[in-house]
Amino acid sequence: MIRNGVAIDDTFAEAFPMKATRIVITAHNPTWARHAAVSATGFATSVIACGCEAGIERELDPAETPDGRPGVAVLIFSMSGKELAKQVERRVGQCVLTCPTTAVFAGIAEGEAVALGKNLRFFGDGWQISKVIAGVRYWRVPVMDGEFVAQESTAVTKAVGGGNLLLLARDTDSALAAAESAVQAMRRLPGVIMPFPGGVVRSGSKVGSKYPALMASTNDAFCPGLLGLARRSELTPEIGCVLEVVIDGLTESDVAAAMRVGMQAGFEHGAEGGLVRISAGNYGGKLGPFHFHLHQLLEAA
Amino acid sequence: MSLHLSLRQRPGLRLDLRGLVPATLAALSPAEIERMDIAQGNRFVPLAEFFAVTRRGDGDALVLEGDLSRCDRLGWQLAAGNIVVEGPVGDYAGACMSGGELHVKGSAGLLAGCEMSGGALRVEGDVGDFAASALPGSMDGMRGGSFVVRGHAGQRFGDRMRRGTAVVFGDAGDFLGSRMVAGTIALGGRPGAHVAYGMRRGSLVFAGPPPEVASTFVASAAPIPVFWQLLARDLARHGEPFGALRARRAQRFLGDLSALGKGELLLVT
Repeated sequence: MIRNGVAIDDTFAEAFPMKATRIVITAHNPTWARHAAVSATGFATSVIACGCEAGIERELDPAETPDGRPGVAVLIFSMSGKELAKQVERRVGQCVLTCPTTAVFAGIAEGEAVALGKNLRFFGDGWQISKVIAGVRYWRVPVMDGEFVAQESTAVTKAVGGGNLLLLARDTDSALAAAESAVQAMRRLPGVIMPFPGGVVRSGSKVGSKYPALMASTNDAFCPGLLGLARRSELTPEIGCVLEVVIDGLTESDVAAAMRVGMQAGFEHGAEGGLVRISAGNYGGKLGPFHFHLHQLLEAA
Repeated sequence: MSLHLSLRQRPGLRLDLRGLVPATLAALSPAEIERMDIAQGNRFVPLAEFFAVTRRGDGDALVLEGDLSRCDRLGWQLAAGNIVVEGPVGDYAGACMSGGELHVKGSAGLLAGCEMSGGALRVEGDVGDFAASALPGSMDGMRGGSFVVRGHAGQRFGDRMRRGTAVVFGDAGDFLGSRMVAGTIALGGRPGAHVAYGMRRGSLVFAGPPPEVASTFVASAAPIPVFWQLLARDLARHGEPFGALRARRAQRFLGDLSALGKGELLLVT
């Protein structure tokens, strides 16, 4: 399949189940809500060593937030509900509780509850007070700028992690430009985050390594520098740079939609822009139950 | 069809209507309901002696008609279903209810909604003393649910209240929210003396005239915009005088320092 000179591999992205939650951070103005959200989603690119994958889903108007202030919706993904609970508590405790004027609310209503303000309340040293409003419990913790208000808990939902696109381009400039436009298009969609820096990862990995201690290692089949050296390569000589966009979504259809608009952004970039092929990472279908076939995604559109 | 119980005449002695809840009556025919015993003083009499029972109209509510101001404990321990009283009702209306809805279109007597823990209690008229409070000898008053009084409240409204939301559109008697453990009371009208006497925790919102604040409360200048918006937006669903609170500010007093001191009075300015 070729669109605007860009070849789409007949392959699929393999994704796996995760646990996720959405939290809503509000503040006195958008700047401080953003500060808290950026901080809370920092160092959250991969569950391999960060504990979670997190990102800003979108910014919220005052009309969309529980307290009528500007806010930011943040998605946090982890491999288990227990790990997610730990990460939510640490990140909200260190990055939202600490940030001037912020408040934090659950962004998902249905699902198993994990603590949001439930344990952070003890920072109040006995001065904290709770209030149930319309069936929802909030904690009010006195802090130096007034009080920190946090909803008691947020809900955990089943989610999909590891959707991806590989953008195979002529050179660095064209690969970056194609990846940037793909990420920009995906960010307009609800329910997804691209957790890597700028939404893009250059160190795509394969499962396993020659070193027994490592679970994952460089994806040599897609390294242009190993063409002709590695036993198996997916590349051809005209490809000088490969970048990957990894997508975590609340549902399978959210991830599929993001992959679709990402590919379409790539086509707009076209062969003239230096994009040669679009592929996807999988592990032969053995690792994850969610398979996103690139051709099927495009045919469905 | 709704179940209608029409009071034949005002009883000479007080009637105890506990047990007349939709869940119990749903499975019974009007004739069986008329044979039910209800307490009057220290004896039991058939319900038919005081009420005519019919099923008619739409809905599945239990509807009571007539002047029930001598009928006590209506909706006692109500857990589910809908009760409507087309006139006034006696003491203990909705006491200990945990769910369902009790709608009194007239006024209610003493101890309305006392120790209720869930559900919705609406009184279009006034309520007597000790509404939303505790049963005599009990440590905790109202502990959940929603209690709305469109008229005035008597003395000691919300005494020892622990949880839930109570809204009074009219005036309140003395000792509003006294010994309050937690929960929320919003008042639209004029408060009486000794507001929040011995309050431990909880929130009292004064949307109308401000109360006289005791010297055991301290003024607080700390901004609470988030909490105020959350509370004001929830109270707004009751309409005026609570509808526009979110656009207004609240002056806050903390206390009662003679008790735990974690309560707050919110005087809307």
